[in-house]
Amino acid sequence: MPISRFLVGTSLAITLACGGAAFAQNITIGVPVGLSGANSVVAPSVVQAAELAVDEINAAGGLLGKKLALEVADDGSGAAGAQKAFDALIFQKKVNVLISMETSAARNAGLPIVTRGKTPFIYTSFYEGRSCNKYMYINAWVPDQQVAPMVDFFMDKKDSKTFFLIGSDYAFGRGMLSFTKNYVEKRGGKVLGDEYNPMDATDWTAIISKIRATNPDALLMSTAGGAPNVTLTKQLRAAGIKAHFGNLGLDEGTAKSMGADAEGTYLAGSYYTSVETPANTKFLGAMKTKFGEKLLTPNDLSTPQYEAVHLYALAVKKAGTTDAEPVLAALKDVSFEGPRGLIQMNKERHAPLTMYLGQVKPDGTVNIMSTFKDVDPGSQCPKLD
Amino acid sequence: MVAQLLDVVSTAAILYAVAAGLLLVFGVMKIINFAHGALLTVGSYAAVVAGQYGLNPWLALPVAAAVGALLGIVIEYFVVRPLYARPLDAILATWGLGIVIGQLLTISFGRGVHFSEPPLRGVVDILAVDYSRYRLALIGVAVVIGVGISALLSRTRLGLDTRAVIMNEDLARGIGINSGRVRFITFAVGSSLAAAAGMLITPLSSVDPNMGTPWLVNAFMLVLVSGSSLVSLAIACVVLGGAQVLVSSYVSPILGGLTIAVLAAIILRVRPQGFAHA
Repeated sequence: MPISRFLVGTSLAITLACGGAAFAQNITIGVPVGLSGANSVVAPSVVQAAELAVDEINAAGGLLGKKLALEVADDGSGAAGAQKAFDALIFQKKVNVLISMETSAARNAGLPIVTRGKTPFIYTSFYEGRSCNKYMYINAWVPDQQVAPMVDFFMDKKDSKTFFLIGSDYAFGRGMLSFTKNYVEKRGGKVLGDEYNPMDATDWTAIISKIRATNPDALLMSTAGGAPNVTLTKQLRAAGIKAHFGNLGLDEGTAKSMGADAEGTYLAGSYYTSVETPANTKFLGAMKTKFGEKLLTPNDLSTPQYEAVHLYALAVKKAGTTDAEPVLAALKDVSFEGPRGLIQMNKERHAPLTMYLGQVKPDGTVNIMSTFKDVDPGSQCPKLD
Repeated sequence: MVAQLLDVVSTAAILYAVAAGLLLVFGVMKIINFAHGALLTVGSYAAVVAGQYGLNPWLALPVAAAVGALLGIVIEYFVVRPLYARPLDAILATWGLGIVIGQLLTISFGRGVHFSEPPLRGVVDILAVDYSRYRLALIGVAVVIGVGISALLSRTRLGLDTRAVIMNEDLARGIGINSGRVRFITFAVGSSLAAAAGMLITPLSSVDPNMGTPWLVNAFMLVLVSGSSLVSLAIACVVLGGAQVLVSSYVSPILGGLTIAVLAAIILRVRPQGFAHA
């Protein structure tokens, strides 16, 4: 009967509107991250870092009178999964911002969706540089900040003249290694070869046989974060390769999961748990208190996530709204003292960072050998504000 | 050179271990068990679990084999046997089963990647080259598998019955061989081999719920090219596996991944029996 159908329809509409209104009480941060695939080794630590930041902000009264909430989606560490994850977060869950660490393949696939959805996006993963988008800010390192310390160390302190470069076959692997090759050759070193394997490939046999044949002094590896690092290092060790191992894409969390195989690898990054600052001690204490036994090693892919959530909160407070344009303008002006030091994304959407060069110890932690303060990211996005 | 040769032989050994179970099932039951990749993955997870419990890594092998055999028994009884008269439907059913097993593994272990420790670490000096002990051990294991199955087939009563069923099932039943029993045991053994192979490849790489699929594709191609003979499987593994290693080394690893499939297609076009006798 028409009247009761009208009543049912109206009450349904009212219920949905109330439900919608309930959602408007939260400010939602979308986190598309590689819960499956190559990044799955690190992704849980990234989610933990985001959860701590959200807890801290909510405990201090929330943001603009509302509570902060997280919406996590699996991007499969790749382009296809990223399209689904970004689409779901932006258009179905209607998040206010995306803050996440992803592979370059996932990021490049997601950026057109970010542009279409006009959603601010803070990218928290180190990457190969020069990715620019009106809606994106980056608070992690680029090769201009990370490669030089490692190569200089090998050439000056370890007398390495020949290098072999290994990477995953996508934007990050290719971009990092092309930068590295240029830098090595500029410094007078020789690159004996550069080889790439698909991101999800687990068999490095052919590349290892090439390394054996060319016998380089040092290896420079730039694979996708997580699983490829583990399989490559395992197989290199199993094959008895004697060169120095320099890993450009390895974080401390993954190094820990490698066990004995990681020992002796050289790393460069913007964060290690052994960094001794008051902010880092406070951060590690808070993580331990919140997660206890389940705590996953905070690392160079998870601490930028923590800082990015805080930076977003500060930008929203400054802009007085969650609308994209004012928040994007505010993001370059706010700064946050986090475990990695004072972070401000004011250099063409990127941030100057303090970098550390270290070596993995037998227990999986990193021994910091040198510190480089406030390294400039170089010119990454000259066309953006 | 020596290292490359060892790479070829050890890769062939790994492929042989992975494909042997599939070949047995194909030979006897004339169906391709598309759950083979999932059974491989189950064996890998058995290795991961053994590692988590602190067991000696080598113990994971009998554990994986046992789990595989059990699963094989269950699958044969509930899925394959009812579809005995409909082989195409049976193939489809095993594909679906593979998906189900993959999802069950995801529910139990999560979607992330796991790793396990190699039972043998270190290198050994062979002909002036340092080569991975574990990879060399795998060559030995593949030989044991091949010799073991051949011995089973040629020296036991069950093996005789199995060979009869492989040649012509109807005639075999006609002379009183219980082909249902042969199928049942073959499937269990094939599944057990799949799981064992999964356990063996884990220490070299990583484990996730979908790792079996690329191996399934390669094993499928190798079985198509081999017919029903274990010897031709060994030849196929050496030829196609060797081609994969050489293409990966001299061209690119990405094209190397395609080599087995492409070569198998070419071989079958040129000689439909593949590597088998006429």
